[in-house]
Amino acid sequence: MNTLFRTTESPFLQYLNQPSTSDRRRRISSLPVRIGLGRSTRTGLAKTTTRMMASSSSAATETVGREVLKKGIADFYDESSGIWEDIWGDHMHHGFYNPDVQASISDHRSAQIRMIEESLSFAGVPEDSLKKPKSIVDVGCGIGGSSRYLARKYGAQCQGITLSPVQAQRAQALAAAQGLADKVSFQVADALQQPFPDGQFDLVWSMESGEHMPDKKKFVSELARVAAPGATIIMVTWCHRDLSPSEDSLKPEEEKLLNKICDAYYLPAWCSAADYVKLLQSLSLQDIKAADWSQYVAPFWPAVIRSALTWKGLTSLLRSGWKTMKGALAMPLMIEGYQKDLIKFAIITCRKPK
Amino acid sequence: MRLLTHNMLSCNIKGVTNGFPLRLEVEKFVEKEVDFSAEFLRNIFPKIEWKALVDASRSMGYSQLPDEADSSMLDSDDFLKKFHHALLELHLEEGVLICPETGRRFPVNKGIPNMLLHEDEVFVFDGVNLVLNYHLNSTW
Repeated sequence: MNTLFRTTESPFLQYLNQPSTSDRRRRISSLPVRIGLGRSTRTGLAKTTTRMMASSSSAATETVGREVLKKGIADFYDESSGIWEDIWGDHMHHGFYNPDVQASISDHRSAQIRMIEESLSFAGVPEDSLKKPKSIVDVGCGIGGSSRYLARKYGAQCQGITLSPVQAQRAQALAAAQGLADKVSFQVADALQQPFPDGQFDLVWSMESGEHMPDKKKFVSELARVAAPGATIIMVTWCHRDLSPSEDSLKPEEEKLLNKICDAYYLPAWCSAADYVKLLQSLSLQDIKAADWSQYVAPFWPAVIRSALTWKGLTSLLRSGWKTMKGALAMPLMIEGYQKDLIKFAIITCRKPK
Repeated sequence: MRLLTHNMLSCNIKGVTNGFPLRLEVEKFVEKEVDFSAEFLRNIFPKIEWKALVDASRSMGYSQLPDEADSSMLDSDDFLKKFHHALLELHLEEGVLICPETGRRFPVNKGIPNMLLHEDEVFVFDGVNLVLNYHLNSTW
């Protein structure tokens, strides 16, 4: 659907039957036929016109698709957060491991903390008391693991947003229990429409939430909007491999694998790290850096699978609900995706100009 | 939701220019004791929209904040205690946050605001906007 990024198709945009051709033709009478062809279009005017004819119906489809996706994400995390926390604790992201190391179960928690620290270090977030971040936003905060960690580390105020009411409640309860209720607070909100005025935050943090965003451009624009001048923006997210210059899209079998994963984890279309870099450049953000950290997260999914196969894991899964079980069953697909060099664990950081 | 958070929330409905501050409709609020830190208060003061804080604390029944404040008042212990109380110790548990421009109501349940928008508050699709959207964002 996205001509700029040639993203994969997502199952969530096919929820409605397409209206008939005659409906589409009637709707285009109000559309101007010629529009300026920006550098983002690679098709001729004829193709653009055809796309415009389908646009009104597809925009409606997309909006409904997005509502379905948002509800799916909220329900998925409402259902599964408890069991995750029970087995893995309050960080809902990959650990950062030394390559080719066999990690034991106790290493995973410190690996998840290391992921946070390595990300901050990669982005060059200052630590001295004058320049360190004082207000932080955690976009896609889960049950607030990163929020509480960052608030504690920097002595900063942190706001977290999530689509899941259950997660927000749990995040708040954990903050209160850890004596951080005066430093962190959580809201149910959409990362594509952040409920904050412009330029609020010194550090904009998105740890493994970008993959849920159906409109990458809007997602990144919002991150930039709420960033204060000079702020650091950090995104750690699942991407597909960069396309080579001769490629228009991923191979069909690659798309097929990603589609299965999208379905289980309530993900919209994937993009590549290079796509994110282009987006950041288009927003005139500075110091843009990106890296492929796939080799540092390799032990993670096998460890999650092993934890699911324990007695505690299996009984918890059976009690949790179908969405969680489906997510668990899809875990080998993630391993397959990494092994095929299709899925990349990417970090992309930048700074908002002063 | 404490008033420090309220001071950072705004209505983000498409087209709204005056989405801050949100008005409070209080159904249930609690007072929670929070550790006092003068340093924290002095650091956060420049970032606070004072009038929004005063109005919000009044809707929670606390009217001890002065209408206006400047940084010289941060030397006064009495002022700092009132500032501390309003900013951090008044918690809206159940109620509504209301957009000053559209009147849109955002519920607060168990202290957590729900700022999710409905689909018609996000997208406006008529022919011209669709084309503009494509032109600006390169997506349909």
